[in-house]
Amino acid sequence: MKIKDQFRFILQNMKKNKIRVFMTVLATAMGCAFLIVLASVAFGLHDSIVSDMLENRTINEIEVVGSEEGQGITDQDIAKFEELEGVRAVTRQKFVQQDAVYSIDGFEANAPTVAAHFPSEIASGVELAEGRLPEAPNEVVVGHHFIPSLTPAEGNPDEFYNEEGLIKEELQFDGDVIGQTFTMEIAKTDGDQETTQEFDVKIVGVMKAPGREWEWDQYVYITDDLLGELEAFTGTPGAALMDPSTFEDVSAEEVPYDQVTVIASDLESVKNVSEQLEDQQYMSYSIVNEMEQMNTLFTIAKAGLIFIGTIAILIASIGIYNTMTMAVTERAPDIGIMKAIGASPKVIKRIFLLESSYIGLIGAAIGIAAAYVISILVNFGLPLILEAAFNEEMPAGLQFSSIPPLLIVIAVVICLLVTILSGLRPAKRATEIDVLKAMRREI
Amino acid sequence: MIDINQLSHHFTLGKKGDLTSLSVLENISFHVRAGEIVTIVGRSGSGKSTLLNLISGFIRPTQGEIIIQDQKVSEFDESEFAAFRLQHMGFIFQNFQLIPSMTAFQNIELPLILKGISEQARKKMTIEMLKKVGLENFSGHYPSELSGGQQQRVSIARALVLEPPLILADEPTGSLDSETEEDLLRFIQELNKEMGITFLIITHDDEVAGIGHRTITLADGKMVESGVFS
Repeated sequence: MKIKDQFRFILQNMKKNKIRVFMTVLATAMGCAFLIVLASVAFGLHDSIVSDMLENRTINEIEVVGSEEGQGITDQDIAKFEELEGVRAVTRQKFVQQDAVYSIDGFEANAPTVAAHFPSEIASGVELAEGRLPEAPNEVVVGHHFIPSLTPAEGNPDEFYNEEGLIKEELQFDGDVIGQTFTMEIAKTDGDQETTQEFDVKIVGVMKAPGREWEWDQYVYITDDLLGELEAFTGTPGAALMDPSTFEDVSAEEVPYDQVTVIASDLESVKNVSEQLEDQQYMSYSIVNEMEQMNTLFTIAKAGLIFIGTIAILIASIGIYNTMTMAVTERAPDIGIMKAIGASPKVIKRIFLLESSYIGLIGAAIGIAAAYVISILVNFGLPLILEAAFNEEMPAGLQFSSIPPLLIVIAVVICLLVTILSGLRPAKRATEIDVLKAMRREI
Repeated sequence: MIDINQLSHHFTLGKKGDLTSLSVLENISFHVRAGEIVTIVGRSGSGKSTLLNLISGFIRPTQGEIIIQDQKVSEFDESEFAAFRLQHMGFIFQNFQLIPSMTAFQNIELPLILKGISEQARKKMTIEMLKKVGLENFSGHYPSELSGGQQQRVSIARALVLEPPLILADEPTGSLDSETEEDLLRFIQELNKEMGITFLIITHDDEVAGIGHRTITLADGKMVESGVFS
C-alpha cells in the first residue's frame, strides 16, 4: 500500500470524527506551544546576555594580566605571544600616569593618554572614523569623544554645561581636528617643585565611536617615541607625576605594559591560545571563559524548561492514546475486512501510527504558530507592563523570548516521538484484531 | 489448486485450569482441481465454516497441512498469509462484509490499494469491474444505499478485481432472495467458465450446492462423502 493512499485513508478516517480529532490536535498544540514558549524564555535571556557581552567586548580578545609569579608583561613576553599558534596580533598599551592637558585656539581638555603599538593595533582590526594612524613620533589619534570634551580655556567652568551635563552648543569646539596641532602639557615634580612642559602633537586620526552608547572614549593615543620623550622629561616610567628618585633606573624594555591583549585569529582559536598561555604560566582572561560557564548554566536551564514543557505534551499524549484506542475499537470491523482481503498487520499498524503522528504533526504546527504569536506579544507587551508596574525602564535590547530554529526542531521531534509512542499501543491492538470476531462485529 | 491433508482442528474452551478441547474437524483430506466449483455442504456445526476459515488462514489448524497452488500455506505466518490472500484469493461472504463508510467504488478499489497499484490503473480496473457486475451507475453509492443483491455484487467485484485464481465463498446466497440468488449462481458459473476461476463454496442451500462440479459433505467434523451433488 502506497504512502499516498495511506494518507488518504487517514484523512478519511479523521473526517469521520472531526470534533474528537480537533480536540486532540488542540491539546497537542497547547502542549507544544507551552514547551516552546517556556523554553524560549531561557533562549531569549541567553541571547540577550550573550549579545550584551559581545557588545562590550570583542569575542576573540584574550586579556593577559601577567605571569603567575606576579610579573608584568614586557616586550620579551609579547615576542613569545606573537609566536603562539592561532594569534593574529598582540596589542599592548602603556598609560601615561597623569592627565595631560591638550589645548588649541582657546579650547582645552584634560584627557587620559595612552601609548599604543600602532602596527599591532592595525593588525588587530582597529578602525578609525576618519584620518589615519600615526606615522611620525608626534602624531596622535584621538578617541571619538575627545573633541566633544574640549571646553573654552577661559571662563567659569560651571557655565559651560547645559542641564544634561553636556557642553553648551555655542561653547563647543567647532572645526576639523585632523591635521591640527595641539599643545600637550605635561607636569613633573622635582622635589617640592612642580614644573610643566608643552609638547606639540598633531592629530591625524579619530577613532570610531564605541559599540555602546554609554561608553566614553576620550583617550589620546600617542606613539612609543612620544611616551619616551615624556618619560625623559618627567624621569619616571609612564611619565608619572612622582619623585623620580623613588624609581629604580630601568630600561624602557623592562617596563611592563599596562594592558596586553592577544587577538586570536578566529573564535575557534581562542580556547587553544588561552590554553597555550596557561601552559606558559600566564594569567589570562577571555570572554570565552565566561561564556562557557554561562552557556553551561543556560543549557541546564533550557533542558529543564524543555523537560517541563515535555510533560505538557505527555499530558496531551493521553488524549492521543484515547483517540486512537477509540478509533481502533470503532474501526475494528473495517480492520477485520481489510485483514481478510489481504492487508498485512504491518500496513494496519502503519496506518494507525501515521494517524497518531499526523495528529502530532498538525498539533506541533499549530503549536509553533501559536508560540511565535505569544513570543512576539511577550517581547512587545512584557516590557511595557513591567515598566508600568515598576516604573523602571528595561535595558535596551532585552529579549524575554526567543525561538531559534533549534527549539522548533526539538519541539517537533519531542511532539512526534510522544505522539508516535502514544499511538503504538492502539496500533498494535489493531494488528491483533481477530478477523472472524471483527467481521462478526464481536469487538 | 488446493490439497487438504489430514486436517484436524479443535477449539479450546473454558478458563485457565479448567480447559476443555472441542474437536470440530477430524482428518479431513481432499483435493480441488484448478477450474473446479467445489461446494461443501453439511448441517450447522458440521465444521464447514471452520474448514473455510482454515483454508482462508483466518485460523490456524491444530494438525494437518493445507497446500494451495503448491504452497504450504498452513505454515505461513500472519503477514505471509495476508500477502497470499491478496494475491491468490478472493472472498464472498454471506453478509457481504463491505466497509460502510466507503462507496461501492472505494470498496472494490480496496484490494488494488492494498496491492499498491497506481491510482490511474485502479480507476480503470474498478470501473471495468463495476461494469462487469452491472453496477456502473452505483459507483458512488454507499452499501446502505444498495440492495442486498447489489451489495453482494460489489462484494464479488471486490473479490474479482485482482483476478485471483481462487474464490472462497461462505454462504454467498444466505442474505439474498431467490431471484437474486439465481442471478448470482449464474454469474458464478459464467465466471468459472469464462475466467477459469476455481470456486470453493460453503453452503447448506441445495440450489447452491447444485452448481458445483463436486460436493464434499461434512458431518460432525468428518468428511462423509465426496462426489457429484444429487
